[in-house]
Order: sequence, then structure tokens, then C-alpha cells
Amino acid sequence: MASTVRPGIFKKGFQAMLPISTGIIPFGAVMGSISADAKLSLFETISMNVLVFAGTSQLAAIDLMANNAASAVIVMTGLIINLRFLLYSAALSPVVQSTGFWTKLASSYVVTDQTYAVMSAHQDKLKSNAESITFYFGASVCMLIAWHASVVAGHIFGNFAPASLALDYAVPLSFVSLVLPTLKNRLYVVIAAFSSGVSLVLNGLPYRTGLIATALLSVALAAF
Amino acid sequence: MIEPGYFWNNVILLAIGTLVIRGSLIALSAKLRISERARELFSFIPAAVLPAFVAPAVYFHQGQVEALMGKERFVILALATALCYVTRSTLATIAFGLAALYLITSNFA
Repeated sequence: MASTVRPGIFKKGFQAMLPISTGIIPFGAVMGSISADAKLSLFETISMNVLVFAGTSQLAAIDLMANNAASAVIVMTGLIINLRFLLYSAALSPVVQSTGFWTKLASSYVVTDQTYAVMSAHQDKLKSNAESITFYFGASVCMLIAWHASVVAGHIFGNFAPASLALDYAVPLSFVSLVLPTLKNRLYVVIAAFSSGVSLVLNGLPYRTGLIATALLSVALAAF
Repeated sequence: MIEPGYFWNNVILLAIGTLVIRGSLIALSAKLRISERARELFSFIPAAVLPAFVAPAVYFHQGQVEALMGKERFVILALATALCYVTRSTLATIAFGLAALYLITSNFA
């Protein structure tokens, strides 16, 4: 397999993430403003963002902490929400298999829905594992900038995204545009439809287990 | 007020657990023999996970357009999906969806 990376791949990854940022920025603004409302300092907010770097689990954790929930509940809820990263990590493992420790550590740290999805949506244009990793890191740097900057701005200025624009709606829109290119034949479409339907049924499961349960059932259906 | 000791304890445990989830299979990858079958299954992961985020967030969202029974986000998402299928453009899909939602809620809500 060719290990050379054509010039400009990193930039292409960065650019592929730019439109997705329209969904990341309002989410970061909510995260920052909710942290400020919960009286977390800017230092605590930034630290949590850098250390955990998984927005949905952070929002759940802040909500639970504000209500003085038991630590076991807070950590378990967050980890259940983040369990889907195990699937992305599995999918990335053949790509990073022959890289060194630091590349593996960095590629693990930046596993998110958006970074993995952007890479897989562009997979057919990437000619080698080295190109895939470079593209993935380009997308990740864009994601890191958009997320951290918007959380800090949200903490300082409050939720700055104008409510009338409903920018949070960019998140489902961007996920649609990222999942479509990965639906290579009818079976993929069936799995996506199955996942949508099951997620509605399992939405009420406790401790946010519906998402990971849906994901595992969908992969199981694909295997079957 | 979230007490600092309680905050840091939770954040550090969540951070370590999350990094373990993200990194465990990547760390083991050099020692694993990843079969073609496994690779094929991995390619279903976006289709298995992303719709499970989108469907409940959009379907259970209570909107403001009575003519669509408050389901304007759902209706626009269906149109945006069709547009995305034709154009294959992330930017066009997001721009259309946000503009359509803005126009419909500012005119019909």
C-alpha cells in the first residue's frame, strides 16, 4: 500500500469540516453558557473540554452535577453516551494499525462523531491509510478550533447563537450529509433506516442507553 | 454551585474512561488481525450510529408550524436528504436546511 500522501490532503480534511462547524459552534455556545450558568470557572470549563472532549457526555455530566447526582451515576452516564466511540475506534484500527505511539494516541483523542464521519464520507477519495490519517487530522484540527473557541465564547458571552436562526439544526443536517456517502448499496440504506426506526423506539431507555443499544443492534443486523 | 473536589473527581474519571473507550482498540490494533469481514462490518458503523442521533432529535422536536403539526424539522430534513442525495454537498444541505427552517418558522409560526 502506498504510504505517500498527496500534497493538500490535510487542508482538504480541514476544509471538509468547515461546513460541519455550523453545527459544532452553536453546540459549543450552549456548552459554554451552561457551564457558566452552573458557576464553573472558565478554567474548569476549558479543562473539562480538553480532558473529556465529548460534548454530549459533558452536557449530561454538568446537568447531573448541578443536581448533585452520585459520582457513579455521572461517570457511568457519560461513559455510556461515549461508548459509541468504541465503534469508531474499531473502524479506525486498520487505518492506524502500523503507525507509532503518538499518532495512535492523537488519533484516539480526536475520535468524535464528526471527525470519524467526515473521514468515512471521503474514504473513496483517499488512496492510502496515510492519506486517511492525514485527512482525519486536518478535519480534527478544524473541529478542535471550532469547539474550543465556541465553548470559551459561550462561557464569556452567554449563548451567542441567535435563537431565530436555530443553528442547532445544523447538527442533524450535517449528519445526514455525512452518512449518505457511506451508504454504498441497498443493505446500507436498510441499516440506516433500521437505526432511525429503532432509535425512536429506544429513545426512552434510562441513562441514555438508547443510542448505543440502537448502534449495536444495527451493526448486528448488518452482520446477520 | 458545583463543589470543586466533586467536579474534578467526576471530570477526571470521565476523561480517563472516555480515552480508554476511544483508544483501546486503536492501541491493540497492531496486535489484532483484522479480517476482511470485520472491515466490511466497520463500514456499516456510520449508518448504524448517525441516524440514531438524528431521528429522535428531529422527530421528537416540538416545532411551531401548526400546518405541519410542529414537525417542520422532520419535513425539512426529508427534503434536505433528497437534496443531499442529488448534490452530494454538505454545504448545500446545511444551507438549504437552515434557510428553509428560518423561512418557514418566521412566516408560518
